[in-house]
Amino acid sequence: MAKHSVLAATIAAAFALGGAHSALAQRKGGEVAIGISQAPPSLDAQITSAQAARNVTLHIFETLYARDENAKPVPELAEGVTISPDGKTYVFPIRKDVTFHNGKKLDAGDVVASLERYRKIGASPALVAAIDTVKASGEHEVTVTLKQAQSTFLDNLSSPRAPIAIYPASEAAKEAGKIEIIGTGPYKFVEYKPDSHVKLARFDGYAPNPKGTGRDGFAGKKEAFLDAVTFRFMPEGGARTAALEAGQIQFNETVDGPTAKRLTSDARFTIHKVMPFGLQVIKFNQAQPPANDVNFRLAVQAALDMEEIMAISYADIYQMDPSWLYPGAAFHSTVGSDKYNKADLKLAKELLGKSSYKGGKVTFIVDNLRANVDTATVVQQRLKEVGIEVDIAVSDWPTVSKIGFTPTNWTFWTHGFGIEPYEGPGSVMAPWVNGLSQQAKDPEIDRIAATFNAEQDEGKRKALYDTFQKHMYDAAVAMKAGNYGVFQASTAKLKNFKPYRIPRMWGVWLEP
Amino acid sequence: MGSFLIRRLAGAVLVLALVSLMSFALIWLVPGDPAAAFLDASATPEQIATLRSALGLDLSLPQQMLSWYGRILSGDLGQSILLNRSVSAALIERLPVTLALAALALAFAVVVGVAAGLVAAVNHNRWPDQAVMTVALLGLSVPDFWLGLVMVLVFAVSLGWLPSGGFTAFSQSPSEWLRCMILPALTLGLVQVGFIARMARASMLDTLGQDYVRTADAKGLAKLRVVLGHALPNALIPILTVIGIVSGALLGGAVIVEQVFSIPGIGRLIVGAIASRDFPVLQGGLLFLAVVYLSINLVVDILYAVVDPRVRLA
Repeated sequence: MAKHSVLAATIAAAFALGGAHSALAQRKGGEVAIGISQAPPSLDAQITSAQAARNVTLHIFETLYARDENAKPVPELAEGVTISPDGKTYVFPIRKDVTFHNGKKLDAGDVVASLERYRKIGASPALVAAIDTVKASGEHEVTVTLKQAQSTFLDNLSSPRAPIAIYPASEAAKEAGKIEIIGTGPYKFVEYKPDSHVKLARFDGYAPNPKGTGRDGFAGKKEAFLDAVTFRFMPEGGARTAALEAGQIQFNETVDGPTAKRLTSDARFTIHKVMPFGLQVIKFNQAQPPANDVNFRLAVQAALDMEEIMAISYADIYQMDPSWLYPGAAFHSTVGSDKYNKADLKLAKELLGKSSYKGGKVTFIVDNLRANVDTATVVQQRLKEVGIEVDIAVSDWPTVSKIGFTPTNWTFWTHGFGIEPYEGPGSVMAPWVNGLSQQAKDPEIDRIAATFNAEQDEGKRKALYDTFQKHMYDAAVAMKAGNYGVFQASTAKLKNFKPYRIPRMWGVWLEP
Repeated sequence: MGSFLIRRLAGAVLVLALVSLMSFALIWLVPGDPAAAFLDASATPEQIATLRSALGLDLSLPQQMLSWYGRILSGDLGQSILLNRSVSAALIERLPVTLALAALALAFAVVVGVAAGLVAAVNHNRWPDQAVMTVALLGLSVPDFWLGLVMVLVFAVSLGWLPSGGFTAFSQSPSEWLRCMILPALTLGLVQVGFIARMARASMLDTLGQDYVRTADAKGLAKLRVVLGHALPNALIPILTVIGIVSGALLGGAVIVEQVFSIPGIGRLIVGAIASRDFPVLQGGLLFLAVVYLSINLVVDILYAVVDPRVRLA
């Protein structure tokens, strides 16, 4: 025991020294260019839920509440919140030390105007659907009244999906896409060249959250050391890698497995793993046979070898986990794991025998992303062994995502859930409410989700989430194959980078 | 010459009419509601209705067609859903980039292709001929996206001579602009070098076999003068037609090359519009490229007729 204590103390001292060394090494200056695969559809953060937009806008804009490293909502531009006992009134004191990039001081009027704008044109209207009124109850205080109590309101307010970004009131009065890009974040907007790049520069008037002690998710203390950050739109993966190797970009948002392996052995580069980045979902179309039959769905669930699917689709960057939430999330649960990754062909055949499926081809729709096609192919081969004939139909994402939200022409559909498990249980349940993703209403899910949203007690909410996850497995509503990650690559000169949902350029610096 | 011009113009107008009809029909080829295709699954009915109205999909089919032709005839290609600007503005913004890229690639392809064809023809059935034809065949067979990546690997990553991608405006820095354009232009042009070289060789061989060339030879003129002064000007006539075809291919090839080298041209705009289902840009872009392509071919046809009177009399 004593030996362990000494060891622990030694390790702690080593970390402390390491930390001290890092603190000394912090260096202001330098520019970083990041190669990203897609151009943001807009820099008006409120009106787009695209990952490409988040990469950029979350450096410029901030929200009242933001997610910490474990995706828990914590105050950002608000000092905190007081919630009335009935759960319907939220009073937010607003920080007084915050300045916009145009020099204006943040006040309650800006917050009210921004929330009202989001209610009108925000890209995720469901986030603010519960709001009844938003009022400035003081120069630096905002009161939000809800139509009914909503336990996920702070989750919604802090969601980075299509962030409820706070703009100066003058900008919040403008139409979608017509604003000047002015936020309160650690970087300010410099220029946007369509199909080329977005350039940001450090905002020297930035006031870090006094409650923040360090980099913490999208919240915490955001210290910008770099002079400028440029996001270059480079759709071709090989071109991004070449640009990194040629020194034209310093960070590559995503690299494939073989490239990551190759660059690992090159001292000039550092490989980062964002794990988990998403979870691989295989959906059923329950609006028509055979997937409207629970025994068919259970047979498929029993047959599949999820580890085989993940190992082929996401070689070297996956983890097996039955939960529909990410590890580390408050409600992460292993409920239902007895039905996860069974790879039991005998049981599958028994269940299939009880189902209405009597042969015939079923369609697996999939977009042209390599990992998704691999998943469909592995499922096709596996199901052949139990007597289910699968046809794979590959199209581009816009086409597949349209077909997948209609009740015909498909039986299976696979893709990733990235932001939903990050946002939390409410967002994980939402795609199955009203039968949106499975194309047939599931009263049990609708009931759980409605109760969950209104329930204020944390323990009861956790129990409700467990019930939801159990139901996902018991009724094989859809299947989760596993968690997958993303490889990123940077120059080894980029220091103190920590992978997260976006490549955060605060808290990092360049060594000469 | 007048009737020749009228015939060519009438042909171009007919093709344009067909392309405009195809552009109009494009929006109807998408399965389901085009407005819903642009928005994501969580879009509210109100959001879909607003976009339908913005796209004019709430009108009847004849009204939509009337509005489409009314707009394009007055030069209005509509408003991009995504870019928050007019399609014409988005196209014009990117046109100089694509045209410069295509022009550089064309210049490279013509100079190298004609020279290679000439060398091959003069050395007919000897090793330079076989070497040129082998390389030309290779050039024709190589996909431009692969060639682009190899060029990047060699000239940007290994040698570090040129940037691997990206774009600097000419007005910002002419030298940097040229550095950014060299690799994409070479990639785009190299594929066409093979085509031009083969045509130039065939044309030169044909010309070199003519009586007047033999006469020039018999008169004891220097070989270089016979080839460059007598044979080449006549051999260039069929090559002119090939250049017209190549110009069109270069515009098409630019779509891929702009993607590989992250160049903000029209090709990239159209690829982005396909991925995001920005129909007005897609329709306008298609029509615009057709106009450019037809214009180039019209100019080449006219030049051809000027150079060779037999063409306009045919």
